[in-house]
Amino acid sequence: MRLVKYTSRRLLLLPVQLLVVSLIVFFLVRLMPGEPTFLYTGPFATMERVAEVRRQLSLDQPIYVQYAKYIERVVQGDFGLSLRTSQPVMTDIRQRLPATMELILLAVIFSVLIGVPLGVYTAIRNTGVINRIVFLYGMMAGALPDFWFALIAIFVFFYTFELLPGPIGRIGLMVSVPETITGMYFIDSILTGNLEALTSSVAHLVLPVVTLVFIYMPLVLKNAQSAMGDMLGSDFVTFARASGLSRLMQWRYALRNAMPPIITVTGILTWFLLGGAVLVETVFAWGGLGQYAVQSVVNADYAALQGVVLLSAVFTMIVFLLVDLAYFVVDPRIK
Amino acid sequence: MATTPGSVITIAEVGAFDEFVRFARRRPSFMVGMTIVAISLFLALFGPYIGTYPTETALPGDTLQPPSWNHPFGTDVSNMDIFSRVIAAPRIDLTIALVSTAIAFIGGVLLGVISGYFGGGGKGIARYVSEGIMRGSDIIQAFPVFIFALALVGFRGPGAENVIAALAFLNIPYFLRITRSAVLQIRERPFVEAARCAGNSEWRIAFVHVLPNALTPPLANISPTIGFSILLTSGLSFVGAGVPVPTPEWGSMIAIGAPNMMTGQWWTALFPGIALGVTILGYGLMGAGLNDFLDPTKKR
Repeated sequence: MRLVKYTSRRLLLLPVQLLVVSLIVFFLVRLMPGEPTFLYTGPFATMERVAEVRRQLSLDQPIYVQYAKYIERVVQGDFGLSLRTSQPVMTDIRQRLPATMELILLAVIFSVLIGVPLGVYTAIRNTGVINRIVFLYGMMAGALPDFWFALIAIFVFFYTFELLPGPIGRIGLMVSVPETITGMYFIDSILTGNLEALTSSVAHLVLPVVTLVFIYMPLVLKNAQSAMGDMLGSDFVTFARASGLSRLMQWRYALRNAMPPIITVTGILTWFLLGGAVLVETVFAWGGLGQYAVQSVVNADYAALQGVVLLSAVFTMIVFLLVDLAYFVVDPRIK
Repeated sequence: MATTPGSVITIAEVGAFDEFVRFARRRPSFMVGMTIVAISLFLALFGPYIGTYPTETALPGDTLQPPSWNHPFGTDVSNMDIFSRVIAAPRIDLTIALVSTAIAFIGGVLLGVISGYFGGGGKGIARYVSEGIMRGSDIIQAFPVFIFALALVGFRGPGAENVIAALAFLNIPYFLRITRSAVLQIRERPFVEAARCAGNSEWRIAFVHVLPNALTPPLANISPTIGFSILLTSGLSFVGAGVPVPTPEWGSMIAIGAPNMMTGQWWTALFPGIALGVTILGYGLMGAGLNDFLDPTKKR
C-alpha cells in the first residue's frame, strides 16, 4: 500500500529534521552574552568550582563534542536542570504539558466546530448581513492582541459581572485537584466522577478558551470560506447542477473537495496556538508550558528555554505529519 | 473646471497617480488604512512632543486616576499620563517594526531571487545554494513564531536591537517564499531568454532583469508584515522580553495595566490595546488594498 510507503518515508525524514532543529536549539545558547557556567555557580564561586561546573557542562570541550554530548543527553530525555525550579527540565515539562494541551485541544476543537460551518455557510450565501458581520469580525480579530482581549474579558466577566473566576490558574483554590490520569483537569474529573472539580475546571477554562477561539478562529473561517467558494464555482459543481442534482448534493461534493485546505489550516492553527497560548497562559497564570517559557526567559533559565523550544518544534513536526497523513483519508487520488 | 456630465477621460490623461487616486476612492477600507498608517507615522515622528505630561517619569499626586479632562485616558499605577504615553509609543513600536521589516525585505528578496532563479533546473554550486536556502527557511518555520522570537530575545536579553534582530530573522522566510514563487514564473519569460542571448551573465540576469520584475508580491507584503511585527513586539514587551519598562510601548503599557484590570481600573490597559489594534488593522487594510491595486486582475 502506498500509504505505508509514504508514511515510512516521512517517518525516516523525521530524525533528519530533528537533528537540524536540535543543532539550532544547541546554538541558541551561544547567542547568550557570556557563558552559562556562572548562572550555576553564582558570582562568588571559587575558580575550582567554576572549572568543575564547566567540566560538568562539557564547556571545556571542543564545540562538536559539546553538541554530540547534548544530542546524547536529549535522546535519553535529559534536557538538563532548570535553574529556577532545580528540577530536571523534562520533569517540569511533563508536569506542565497537559495544561497547555488542554487549552490548545479545546481551542482547536471549537475553532473548527464554529469556523468551518460558518465559513461554508457564508460561502454558500455569498451576500447578506451575516456575511458582512463575519467579514468585519475576520478583519478585526486578526488585528487584536490576544493578551489584551483576555484582560478585557477578565474585566467584563470576572470584575464587572462576577460570572466567571479570575485569572488564578486552572482550578479553584479551595477545590482539590482530581486524580491525575491524563493531567487535563476537566477530563480527569469526568473520568473520576469528581463533579466539584469538573465545574471548577470548566469555569476556569471558559475565558482562556474563548479568547483563543475568538482571536484565532478566523484563520479557519476564512480558509473554509475561500476553499468552499472555489469549489462551488468549479466545473464539477457546475456539471452537477446541470445534471439536475439537488443543492444538498452539490454542497456535499464541494465540501468533500474543500477538505484538504481545511485540514491544512487546522494544522497551521495548532502551530499558531502553541505560540498564542504563551501570552494567554501568562495572563491567566495557567501554569502550562507557555508560562514556563516566559518564566525561563525572565530568569535566564537557559536549559528550560532550550527544552521548551525543542519540544515546540517537535510538536510542530508531529502536527504537520498528521496533516499529511490526513490527506490520505480525505483525498482518494493520493492513494 | 467645466466638466460636463458624460465627458470622456481619455486613457492618455490617466497617469499612474490618477489611477491610484481613483482606486483609493472606490475602496473606503483602503482610505481608512492609509489614514491610520499616516497618523501612526506622524506620531512616530512627533508623538513624544505632543503630550503635555512626561512619558517616562511618575507625576506627584494620586495614582490610577480615571479618565478626566486633564488626563483623557486616565493615569496608571505610577501616575503617568496614559494619553501622553499612548501617543508617544509609536516611536519605538514603529521603529522596531519598520527596521526589522526592511531588513527582512532586503534579505528575503535577495535570497528569494537566488533560490528561485537557480533552483530546480539550475546547475553547479548555485543549485545546492538554492536548495540550502529553502531547507534553511523550512527549519526556521518549524518553530512556532512567538516561541522562537521569545527564545531569541531571551538568550540575547531584552532591548529594541534584539527585538529587531529576532523579528527580521523570523520574517525573512516569508519574503523569501513570496519572491521565489514570483521568480519561478518570471524566469520562464521570453525577455530572460533574450537577455541571455545578448550575452548577459546568469547573475546579471537574475539581479538586473528578473529581480525588478519580481518585486510586486514582496512589496505588497510589507504593510501586513509591519502590522504583524508590531503585534509581536507588543507581545514580547508584555511578558517583559521586549522593550524595557519606562519606555512608552503599547505592550508594556498593557502589562503595567494588567493587574489593575482585575480591580476595576479598566482605562490602564484598554487604551494602549485599542491603539495597538487600530494600528495593526490600519496596516492590514493598507496591505490588502495595495495587493489588489498592484494585481491587475483585481483592480476593477
